[in-house]
This record gives sequence, C-alpha cells and structure tokens, in this order.
Amino acid sequence: MINNLVQDLLDEFMPQNTTPSHEYPQESETLYNFAFIDEDAKREVRRKLLKAVALPGHLVPFASRDLPIARGWGTGGLQVTMALVEPHDVLKVIDQGDDESVNAVNLRRLIHKTTGIPFTTDTLAATVIQTRHRIPEERLHAHQILVLQVPMADPLRWVEPHIERATEMHAEADYSRMWVYMYESVVRAGDMDVASQYPVMVEGRYMMDTTPIPRYDVARLHMAETLYLFGAGREKRVYAIPPYTKVIPLQFEDYPFTTEHNAAYACAICGANDTYLTSTFHEAPSPSARGRWLRTCSDTSYCRKRLKEKEHLLTTGAS
Amino acid sequence: METWLLKVQHLSKRYGSRCSYCSTLTGPEQKNRCPVCGTVTACADIHFALNQGEVLGIVGESGSGKSTLMQIVNLALPADSGEVFYREIHEYGSAAPIDLLTLDKYAARSFRNERLGIVHQRPELGVNMHFSVGGNVAEKLLLANWRHVGRIRERTAELMRLTELPPERIDDDPHTFSGGMLQRVQIAKALASNPAILLLDEVTSGLDLSVQACVLDLIKRLQWELKMTMLLVSHDLGVIKQLASRTMVMKNGWVVESGLTDQILQDPQHPYTQLLVSSAL
Repeated sequence: MINNLVQDLLDEFMPQNTTPSHEYPQESETLYNFAFIDEDAKREVRRKLLKAVALPGHLVPFASRDLPIARGWGTGGLQVTMALVEPHDVLKVIDQGDDESVNAVNLRRLIHKTTGIPFTTDTLAATVIQTRHRIPEERLHAHQILVLQVPMADPLRWVEPHIERATEMHAEADYSRMWVYMYESVVRAGDMDVASQYPVMVEGRYMMDTTPIPRYDVARLHMAETLYLFGAGREKRVYAIPPYTKVIPLQFEDYPFTTEHNAAYACAICGANDTYLTSTFHEAPSPSARGRWLRTCSDTSYCRKRLKEKEHLLTTGAS
Repeated sequence: METWLLKVQHLSKRYGSRCSYCSTLTGPEQKNRCPVCGTVTACADIHFALNQGEVLGIVGESGSGKSTLMQIVNLALPADSGEVFYREIHEYGSAAPIDLLTLDKYAARSFRNERLGIVHQRPELGVNMHFSVGGNVAEKLLLANWRHVGRIRERTAELMRLTELPPERIDDDPHTFSGGMLQRVQIAKALASNPAILLLDEVTSGLDLSVQACVLDLIKRLQWELKMTMLLVSHDLGVIKQLASRTMVMKNGWVVESGLTDQILQDPQHPYTQLLVSSAL
C-alpha cells in the first residue's frame, strides 16, 4: 500500500519522457546538466551579463560558481561561455592565440563533455569564442560573441588596493590616480610601460581593464561589431563592451597610445607582417652553431589559414 | 554690496542618536557630550562668512570642532543641518549662490577638485607616498584634464618654485622629503588647480620652530601675491595672529567669540578666549 503511494508520488514528480530535445553524448546525459552549471546559476550569470551590457565597462558582481578547474584558470570566462552556449552554437577556445595550448584543450574537453556542441578552430565559423591573451586576427562580426577570461578585473587595483574605495572611485569617475600612474610610467620609463591589461575609458565614463591582451589588440575593442564579454571568476565580476562602443586607451597628447607592432618583422611560417607575432628561440641542430629567434603568428589558426591560401594560390597559379 | 565667497549658516554636526536633552545639557559652558544619550556635538549652529581674499582663522582647543568644520567645508563629511553657500565672484558681479551640502557626490567631488585646495596637518593624508613629488602635484592638474606631460611638468616645476621647493627634485620619492618640505608639497598640490578657497588644517603643527616660520612666511607671501581666500584652522594663537585678519573662537562645537584678530587678541571678551590668550602669552 505504502509502496504504491510512494510509486504514485514518484510518477507524479518524475518526468515521463527523459529523452533530451537534442543529442548529448552518453556521458553528459548521466553525469551533467547541459553546460555543467545548473540552470538557475546560468540564468543569474545571464542576468548579470545583461546588466553589464547596459552599463558598458562597469564591473558587475556575480556569484561565481565552483567548477572542476582551479580559480585563475579561466573559470570566469568558462561560466560566461557555459551560461551562453546553446546546442546549435559552434565554439572556439583559444589561449595565447593558440587553439592547441594546454588550457584551451582542457577547457574545450570540459565544454564538449558537458554540452556536446561542435568546435572549430576557424574564427569566422565560430559563434562563441572563448579566449585569453588575444583577440583573433580576423575581423569578428555581429553574430559572434567573444568571451574573455579576466585575471584582474579592476584597473584601479594598481593604485587603490581597497575594493570599497576603488568602487567609490568608479562611482564618482575619479580616475586621477590612474592618470598619475600613467604619468609616472612616462616619467620613469620614457613611455607608457604597460604591456598588457592596458587601461581604457569606455564611452567616456568607466575605466576598464582590457585583460592580458597585448596593446596590439586594444584598438580592436573600439567600435567593434562584436559583443565582448569579460568574466573574472576569482574576483566574481563580469563586464562587457557592447557593439559599437567607444573604447579609448589612456594616452597623453605628447605620448599617444602606440602598439608593439613592427612591420619590419614577419611571420616565419606564413610571412604576414600585419599580425601580432610571438618570438620563440630555436636551438641550433649542432652544438657548434648558434640558435635563432623565430617570430610566428600568435593566432595559429589564422596563420594556418593564410598558409593554405598561399599554397592554394601557388597550386592554382602553377596549373 | 556683499562680497562673501563662502557663507555658512546654522551648520550643525552631531555624532549619536540625539535626545530632547541634548540642546539643554550641551553647550559652550557645559560638555559637548550629552550625559543622557551620549551624543557628541562636534559643531553647533555655526555661522560665518568668508570674503574674497580674506583669511579667516578658527581657533580652539583639541576637540572643539575646528577640523570637523573644515572637513564639512571640504565636502568630505556630511553635515546634519545647515547650509554652506558658495558664490563665484567675477569682475562684473557675482553668480547665484549654490548650497554645497545639496550637491550629489559626483558634483561635490568635482567642486572639491576644482574650487577647493586643502593642506592637512599630517602630510600622509595629503601626499600619496607611492607617487613621486611631481606626480602628487600633477594629480590635481590631471584631474583638471591636463593631458600633456610636458606642460604638466612645466606647471609642476613652476608650483615647486613658488612653494620654495627645488624643481630638480620633481621626480624624487616623498619619503626623502622632510616634514616641512612635505607641507610645501601639499601647498603646491593645493594651488595646482587655482582653487577659490585654500583650507589649511593645522599646517604648522608638528614642525620645529624654524620650519614653522618658513611655512608661515610662504603662506603669507602666497596670500599677498595671489590674494588667496583662506580658511585657517589652528590651536596656536601665534599662527592665527600672523595670518588671519578675522578670527573665530570655538569651544565644545560652539562659536563663543568672533571678530577682528587684533581685537580678539588684545581685548578678548569671552572667558574662554581670555584663557586662550593668557595661556598663549
């Protein structure tokens, strides 16, 4: 009698049809919710992202969840990605511009295990791109979302260690100390000595940290077609740059903002001199010879694409 | 024609819950702490007007409410009641007065940055020890949207010369400066934005006598050359005598006497002022 009652209650509350509306891998069906995080948490992240989009450059606190990766390894970006992805999305994950770096591969594995969505290395084929350190070389479009992993969300941390005070400074748009920091860097180093995380003013209101992207990529944030979302899991903050937003780096009239780009250097693989290059030292094959520095495109998929195009042109030209 | 630049009316500041006995049990002749509810009266019903180019001295013992009054005028502390009117005076007349206490935080900060300059008793409150001396002075210029490093450095060097600091030490660490020099750095920083009112909070306290004399000479010279309007807080009647044309004596948060400095010093009327003057002499 009691067993029947329990069974009736279970039948009432348990959904009869457990077949998912789309295909998941077998493992995700049994172990995980779609995109690992529970639906309420994802909804909260999305709500905070909407607020961030409404206030470009403003740091919005959110309840950063525990994930099966350590804080500081991209948990902020991962939560934003997981809150956004849908089964029809195509995802690209890069780290240091590279699709095959350890962090990128591990993040991709986790997302694949818990969503089953397709992945790509082609920037233009992706609908959501999760990245750290770089913005892809190819121009992104309005239908794409770029999610950046952020290690240090507040640009004022360099000059004001107290979070309450820094929050007040943001509220009152009091950025004089950051300007003094830039002035001091010019005085001491002869130029702005900020290599990455270059501070910018968003829509003339909020000062924003650009995450560890190089100065080369900062200009891509200005009036971009794409939605940029920033997630800092350890600091529990999200912020955003909506499409067509003014993003101006801090600069002086006599010391304008410059990038580290040098057209004299070209990629050793594809020959491009209009991309951000990384340098690696290659040991010489014999101990008597000296090794040399090689510069290659930081965005590996773009480099491969250019190489393929070059080869294609060569073969079609030859035929 | 009225020539006031700053007018304070009915200004009060109390710390505590307040009760119906506060007004009768606290006052200049009693304690400033209510024995019933424990509320401390820092400033009570303060009135004064500060004319353009004038130096008004506020004198009183420790805990008399001088610095609280200064902080309220500096818009760093909210008042419980009262008004602090500010009026721009131009060549052809004066603008409509604005009540500074009704400004929102954003407007208050920009007013403080553009129109007020403050020199604190303790240099570490006014000088950021993590930046160079030049950086500290430049902060005010950067706040005023100066965005040319060359011009900022020129103006900073000029301000350093004006305050008798060696301009060649523009990039030095403030830790390498003496107490008197740090006070000069604060003065240079306060003057950077051409403030309408300079607030001086016990600027010579903690300095030895010769350095005190140098700083006082500097302030006197600046007042003479720039015709600065100053509000000077001190517990030292000697400082007040040297700098202020008018003086206000405070006790337990109340103003007990005010008038011309000479008159206050030579013919004090209130017993507390008489005590202050006799102990100074």
